[in-house]
Amino acid sequence: MKWLTIILTIILSELSVVRADTPEDKEFQRSALKMMHKHCASCHNEVDKKAGINLEDFYFAVSVVRRGELFKEVTDVVRNGSMPPSGAPPMSQADKDTLIVGIERILSRALAHADPGLSVMRRLSHREYQYTIYDLLGVEFETVHYFPSEGSGGEGFDNQSGTLFISPLMMERYYNATDSILRQIRSDKTLWQRLAPTNYKVGISRRFINSILSFINPQREFFWEAPELEAKKIIVPFATKAYRRFMSKGEEDQLIELFNQVYFASWKEKDAFSNAITAVFKRVMMSPNFLYRIEVNLHSDTPYPINNFELATRLSYLLWSSMPDERLLQVAYREDLDNPSILKREVLRMMDDDKFRRFSSSFAPQWLGVEEMLYAPLTDQVLFPELTLGLRKAMHEEVVGYFHEVFTKKRNLLHLLDSDYAWLNEDLANHYGIEDVEGSEFRTVNITDRNRGGILGMGAVLTATSLPVRTSPVLRGQWVLEQILGEPAPPPPADVPALEEAKTKNGNHLDLRSLLESHRDDPACLGCHQKMDPIGFGLENFDAIGRWRDSYDTIPINTGSALADGRTFKDPEELKGILMEDKAKFAKNFSRKMLSYAIGRRVEFIDSPSLDRLMNELINNNFDSQTFMLELVSSYPFLHRRSDLATRYKGI
Amino acid sequence: MTHLSISRRKLLRGIGASVALPFLESLYPSKLLAAQYLHNTPPQRFACLFMPNGVPPTKWNPAKTGTDFELSPILKPLDPLKNELLILGGMMNMNSHTRQDGHYTKDANFLTSMRIAKTVDAKVDSGGISLDQLMAQHIGKDTMFPSLQYGLDRIRSGVDNAVGFTRLYGGTISWQSRTQPCSREIDPRMAFDRLFRNFTPGKKPLPEDPMKKTVLDLVKDDVKTLERQLGIEDQNKLGEYLEAVNSVEKRLNDRQNLADFASQITPDIRKELQKMDMRIDEWAEYAEGVDITEKTRLMLDIIVLAFWSDASRVATLMFGNSVSNRNFSFLDGVFGAHHSISHHTNDPRMLDQYEIISRWHIEQYGYLLQRLQSIKEGDKTLLDNSMILFGSGLRDGNRHSPFDLPIVVGGKGGGKFKTGQNIQYPDETPLANLYLTMLHSMNIEVPQFADSQTVLCDILV
Repeated sequence: MKWLTIILTIILSELSVVRADTPEDKEFQRSALKMMHKHCASCHNEVDKKAGINLEDFYFAVSVVRRGELFKEVTDVVRNGSMPPSGAPPMSQADKDTLIVGIERILSRALAHADPGLSVMRRLSHREYQYTIYDLLGVEFETVHYFPSEGSGGEGFDNQSGTLFISPLMMERYYNATDSILRQIRSDKTLWQRLAPTNYKVGISRRFINSILSFINPQREFFWEAPELEAKKIIVPFATKAYRRFMSKGEEDQLIELFNQVYFASWKEKDAFSNAITAVFKRVMMSPNFLYRIEVNLHSDTPYPINNFELATRLSYLLWSSMPDERLLQVAYREDLDNPSILKREVLRMMDDDKFRRFSSSFAPQWLGVEEMLYAPLTDQVLFPELTLGLRKAMHEEVVGYFHEVFTKKRNLLHLLDSDYAWLNEDLANHYGIEDVEGSEFRTVNITDRNRGGILGMGAVLTATSLPVRTSPVLRGQWVLEQILGEPAPPPPADVPALEEAKTKNGNHLDLRSLLESHRDDPACLGCHQKMDPIGFGLENFDAIGRWRDSYDTIPINTGSALADGRTFKDPEELKGILMEDKAKFAKNFSRKMLSYAIGRRVEFIDSPSLDRLMNELINNNFDSQTFMLELVSSYPFLHRRSDLATRYKGI
Repeated sequence: MTHLSISRRKLLRGIGASVALPFLESLYPSKLLAAQYLHNTPPQRFACLFMPNGVPPTKWNPAKTGTDFELSPILKPLDPLKNELLILGGMMNMNSHTRQDGHYTKDANFLTSMRIAKTVDAKVDSGGISLDQLMAQHIGKDTMFPSLQYGLDRIRSGVDNAVGFTRLYGGTISWQSRTQPCSREIDPRMAFDRLFRNFTPGKKPLPEDPMKKTVLDLVKDDVKTLERQLGIEDQNKLGEYLEAVNSVEKRLNDRQNLADFASQITPDIRKELQKMDMRIDEWAEYAEGVDITEKTRLMLDIIVLAFWSDASRVATLMFGNSVSNRNFSFLDGVFGAHHSISHHTNDPRMLDQYEIISRWHIEQYGYLLQRLQSIKEGDKTLLDNSMILFGSGLRDGNRHSPFDLPIVVGGKGGGKFKTGQNIQYPDETPLANLYLTMLHSMNIEVPQFADSQTVLCDILV
């Protein structure tokens, strides 16, 4: 039966790759696609890929939906006449209409029925495993080095279902982790008693009865329910928490049976009861019910709301990177968690909990791409001996602590871009040349120099966007476009070398700017580099490990520049001012990142109604973090799921 | 056609083996037979060392082809091993020839030779099983560890939004199946202890949990229960889980294997283990995060020990992730980072640094070959019984060019390879031809691997 399922699965998944054209596909191929080939593909093809866009290879309506945002843009630029560009053969109104109508029909059909997208069960990320173990068992277990490192997906997070695998090596580590965690707990009386508060001791009379019974039936001691009853008191609550839901009767019986099996085999031994409990714990901790966040798949052709326990789990892994606490499970059991007022009450409670800092420490460094500061940054250690492990950790903490402060206290997410305060300790303040901060603990520090406030002035960000031996305006510019504004420049064409990297010798900054400016004369480079480079120039006052500088040795730094749209600035402070003007872009990008983090997959075109709503709420509520979080957990894909067996979405 | 004649020869050899086996088996008890085999024909081993970012294109090729060739400056460290080498030019992975991206599309599939799916998360796909994993299914199944995957760096987090690939692709060349990457060990201590802790003198063996078998057996029931409640994609995930449980269980159940393995830990190996253990401690205490050369050598030495003790016969090691920008300023004459320097724009000063970095990689490769050569196996050496592949998914990093890849094979693969040759194949010869040849040399008689067209007769004895 199992193999049949697997074989069927393989066949089905193969089928979805090679699919027959639907009537919608054929209609698209006859109309819009024909127009794209006629008018767009001479530049936007696989080889030339102007502006990083290739419009040649879309044959199916579903692929148009998948890249829906791109196609929305295509209709926009054709409608407003900016494409095809002057010089290219003009496009007749009839052709334009065919293209626009053809695309829009597909896109609006896709949005006609709300679609929460496909959510595949997620294995706990290493981070989530670590926190879950802590909350479930009360011990710290460090996973970062113990488990093999993993990739990330979606918008760049480690909690995305598509990039969480279990390999044989990983399974081995899970077992060893389970074993060593439980060993540690067993060796600590207080810890163990908290988990297993009751204990069953075999009394003298029972011993006597057993020894007689074992004469009659050596297989098993009959009429002896007491140990099992005691064990249930421990096992059931434990497994319920671990599985984040109630167990079925069958599941419960299986666990108790394991207990009995282990216990009766060794009941004469001193630790028999605890040993049997431990065996059951192991089995629970190795179960897919624990290692994965599993949501039930209903055989429904339409999307459906997830159940209360699944919602509780989504909430707690979003806000705490861990399992629901007892109260949340209680609420899930007794109340309607998806009732807006109850949902709000619980989310606010959870955001108020210390565990909410885990959200900041997971989300912020991943979003900003500064996780590496904790491990092995590329920075040259001979040139920059100041960048010690201690300082790197401080830089990482600055990102987390500042984000948390903004999210929970100031509650204005625009402060991420610019503010008049920073999150510092003495080491970091010294590094930045800020005085009067003493001691190793972090705190909010008011700053007068507005070049520094916000994430663009953070050491972690400035270091992560530098090369090992010097700064890179291109990398920093690209970073701002991608992580802040959500508009990454496409990569250089395959055969064009990254000039900047190549021509500056020996870390010499002097000719860097003129060189970059000269290669922007090349029209092939201009399009993207005029977006990236000026932003990077604006941050040149920060060196490769984030210290302030006014000159390269003796030559003064000119940070003044102009963006492609003509807006000018003279220093980091003014550059930030310009970014603040683009807050709609920031709002959209931030919403996208958060949504992806919350639902564990890439944000697709089908999510655009939810994404637009999040963005608008963010702007309309003056970037209030709390309101935003409440919107996020009320968003359609967060509250719903659909079956991948539903035919309506075939192929999407 | 050469293609035909070769496969027929292979086929006949294959038949010969399958006829002979039952006959032998009827004469000897199986264990004796195994021992006999071990004595007469030591097992074949395979390792692949993967280098990111390519090589300076004009400085790689040896002068002159054939058997009388002269090593290029990059390959110079291999001089003492010249007769053990096959330097193979002109090869490429046709499926990596795409303009989607410069690196990931050429690296993740270095050993699958198939096209990878462009994705940031949904449906990660390398196109096929990788060469090493296919070998592991055959020659690896009798060892404690069917295969080993090592690296030096954490997989880079995040996705490459500009090109639309998850960086996961840059952190793995070993694929258990087209959709499942293998996990990689990057810490010498973890890697060593996993294999050898219980055999290292002076180390307290890790206690084996008596419940392990029961627990692993029981969690499989959960899979059965869950399967009925889940959708297709979820079931795929469960299948992955189940496969991992089975592989751990298999090792646990195979007491014979464990006993065989223990008996293979000779006093010589035991001494080596003890030395190794101390070296790792030393490195961890003084040089972790500083000395990348020593870290590399530790990982390579663990591979040597694994091959020597027959803990495993298949291994891969990645010198760096795709697009690795490792800072190589610790080398004389280098000032900067790998990927940056690989974009040399034909500037001679950049090319020089690129060359030094490439040579560093070859030195490490040479270190591995020499260590393998220093170990005797019967009248041969461990290297004689191995095929150690070195390569990169790119030729010229500056152009991200996938043609004429830098490829070296060290070792005779158990007497199968005619080493000591520099062969320049016609342009666009599938790299998979080499893979097919290796597979056939191990008597893994697949008709084709990825886009392979024929075996490379020239390298066969």
